[in-house]
Amino acid sequence: MPWYRQVYDWLEHRLQLEGPVMEAMVHPVPRKTASWWYVFGSASFVLLILQVVTGILLALVYAPSAAHAWDSLEVLNHQLPLGWFLRAMHGWGSNFMVAVVLIHMCQVFLFGGHKYPREFTWVLGVCMLLMTLGMAFTGQVLRFDQDAYWGLGIGASIAGRVPFVGGQLVHLMLGGPMINGATLTRFFALHVFVIPGALLAFTGLHLWMVVKLGINEWPMPGRIVRRETYMKEYHDLTHTDGLAFVPLAVWKDLFFSAAILLAVAACAAYFGPFGPKGAPDPTIINTVPKPDFFFLWLYTVLSYLPPNLETPFLLIVPPIAIAFLIAIPFVAGIGEKSWWRRPVAVFAVFFIAVCWGAFTQLGTYTPWSPQMHAWSGAPVPEKLLVNRTPLERQGAVVLQQKQCRNCHELGGMGGQRGPALDDVAGHMTEDQLYRQVLQGGGNMPAYGAALSPAETTALVKFLTTLKVNYAPAASDASRQVADADTGTAATGAR
Amino acid sequence: MQSEVSSRAKNVTRYGCLLLAVSFLAGCKLPGKPKDGPEVPRPEQVLSFDELYAANCSGCHGAHGEKGPAMNLANPEYQALVDDASLRDIIVNGEKGTLMPAFGEKQGGELTDAQVNVLVKGLRAKWGKGDVLSGLNAPTWKATHAGDPAAGKLVYEAACARCHSASGSQPSKGGSILDGSFLAVVNEQMIRTTVIAGRPDLGMPDWRSLKQSGPLTDNEVTDVTAWLMSQKPALPGQPYGSAAPAQPAAAPANKISGKD
Ligand code: HEC
Ligand code: HEC
Ligand code: HEC
Repeated sequence: MPWYRQVYDWLEHRLQLEGPVMEAMVHPVPRKTASWWYVFGSASFVLLILQVVTGILLALVYAPSAAHAWDSLEVLNHQLPLGWFLRAMHGWGSNFMVAVVLIHMCQVFLFGGHKYPREFTWVLGVCMLLMTLGMAFTGQVLRFDQDAYWGLGIGASIAGRVPFVGGQLVHLMLGGPMINGATLTRFFALHVFVIPGALLAFTGLHLWMVVKLGINEWPMPGRIVRRETYMKEYHDLTHTDGLAFVPLAVWKDLFFSAAILLAVAACAAYFGPFGPKGAPDPTIINTVPKPDFFFLWLYTVLSYLPPNLETPFLLIVPPIAIAFLIAIPFVAGIGEKSWWRRPVAVFAVFFIAVCWGAFTQLGTYTPWSPQMHAWSGAPVPEKLLVNRTPLERQGAVVLQQKQCRNCHELGGMGGQRGPALDDVAGHMTEDQLYRQVLQGGGNMPAYGAALSPAETTALVKFLTTLKVNYAPAASDASRQVADADTGTAATGAR
Repeated sequence: MQSEVSSRAKNVTRYGCLLLAVSFLAGCKLPGKPKDGPEVPRPEQVLSFDELYAANCSGCHGAHGEKGPAMNLANPEYQALVDDASLRDIIVNGEKGTLMPAFGEKQGGELTDAQVNVLVKGLRAKWGKGDVLSGLNAPTWKATHAGDPAAGKLVYEAACARCHSASGSQPSKGGSILDGSFLAVVNEQMIRTTVIAGRPDLGMPDWRSLKQSGPLTDNEVTDVTAWLMSQKPALPGQPYGSAAPAQPAAAPANKISGKD
């Protein structure tokens, strides 16, 4: 007997693992379940392992202290060979993992996989989704750059809105009243010990139940789940029309997981690591912090909500959403599994997916933040300055100097907080422009106190030239009547 | 036969290893590899003229230093006219009486001394053409003494009126420079600079060809500037023109009727 065989036997004699493992491997699965639709769960698991491995390697270099975190990422990016690639793999792995977990969840839901007897598998799955998102958030914090800094600030202000205990919550989260060194060590502990530990334990349980209860069969319209008969029906199905999991079903999982890993590597190689963006220095205010991809939708929703609804939204909607997800298998634990017979479920999934996609897409534009550098960095389009009088030209300077461009576009450049001004004179008269500039309104500040009369005049003179040349300027009939009464020619300012 | 196969296999492994090694080396040049230096440098670490100019000056002085709402910096004559110290002073402290903001850190701006130096050097390198004014007896950038407005009025009629009209209310090719609001947001230096260096990007010639009879002298430039400044009304920018003091109530009434 060769030596490795002896070692194996010696171990097996004591561990006794061969039996259960073999049983789990060759357990029969329904033939139609060996489908490409069933590969997302295993892919999530493989991605989790990838994250653990790359995470451990990163932790060898990363310094979880406020003073050194950012620098240690710079070291990884620039000084260690392939350190950047490691960071990129971990970052892209995280993105892929969130995406694949979400797809897995939709697939399970649409295929009725959460129904009897797999309710608890689903509940664990919901917890694992939350932990995955928690990993994504805490991971973003560990990057400790400007985005992380402001992201944390936003997270803390959300926590601070909880009634009664808000203050203490913030203290707990940040390790003090503000973001400091203790904040980072806290998030490091969460990201490296607490959440991954729990996530791995939950994953183990989740898998155990998958093996014990069997993989969900392909749903057939009309095949109803009943608590009394389901177990027997499933058993019969797998034994009359089943396949051994290994090797007849597993190869698709392996193939897909390999493809996902390659995709992660390709993204990492091509797009590189995320950040770190600028150093986390609160004195640098000219930044447009943005949350990572999965939280962009939240950013959009919050910017659309009227301010007085933000707090209720933040504090009420997430708990309701989570409770709702957990309640699904208990409310709809039996009955039809097929999507052909579950229109509400299908509609809900698509509705949520479309909303999420639209909000995320909107979030990538940031039309809600002013562009802090537009006033000095966005040139006034040359064609708006052709044949202008010196006064109108100075008006354009006022527009820049008073930072109107930070909120208003000209020629497609500038902020989008307010409407573009390219043809504002087509629908606003000179009087209305004076009023708008001096009194503001909507989300626009009033400039009455910040502009001298001469500056105001110059500015409005310039604004009145902003229209497409074939269109007439906006006019105000009452002004002509008033002028006729008093005998003044409507010459405007002097 | 056997050995041929095995030697081919050996070849294959050899090439395979080579390929692996090459792709690994290429791995260090993958497109995702971060460029040198931090991804987003701290604002004060930006030391490239083009970046600094684009972010801080292009908004008012134009993307290419011309055809912007404020003075064109891409004018070789202007670059020859003004010295480094004055240029630096204007960028750091802004220009009082005009809308040129102060960019120095101590003045509440964002540019460090090093960055201002980069800007000054870059303006010269990019738009200066050496001493194009030498031997032309050009007026100095800064006025050396106070001007005489009365004499300036005559200079205005001789040198400016044909393009800017004799009175503020008459429209003209260059547009009125006698408008009270305009005069209130510019200062003497701005007019002086414009008269000497011209605005080639807008079709205003330099000091040599404004007057038909020959170049303006330093004194004439000083005087016309003084006269223009003396035309600034006490209360500039009153809406509804000269009629405003006479019937103040009529017009402002519908000024309030805004769009919302
Ligand atoms: C903080 C961002 C912000 C700044 C700075 C700002 N605006 Fe606005 N502006 C807005 C918003 C928002 C609106 C839309 C107001 C509403 O809904 O009534 C608006 C509306 C306007 C309108 C009406 C446009 C239309 O088509 O109805 C004009 C004109 C205007 N702003 C001019 C200016 C000028 C001139 C300045 C600089 C002196 C300026 N704004 C500075 C945000 C801003
Ligand atoms: C908010 C608009 C604005 C910005 C931004 C701005 N300027 Fe100016 N600048 C002006 C105005 C207005 C003047 C006065 C002259 C005029 O109106 O033509 C001026 C004048 C100047 C002058 C002096 C011209 C003279 O009279 O000799 C220089 C030099 C100058 N700017 C350089 C710069 C540089 C360099 C930057 C970028 C760091 C900059 N400016 C950014 C508006 C601006
Ligand atoms: C040959 C015609 C011509 C003559 C003569 C002339 N200008 Fe001009 N000037 C122009 C034009 C064209 C402009 C650009 C107007 C515009 O588009 O704003 C201009 C603009 C100006 C401006 C505004 C510059 C700016 O940055 O907006 C000033 C100030 C000025 N001229 C002063 C003078 C003075 C003072 C004189 C007499 C000493 C004079 N000009 C003579 C053609 C002329």
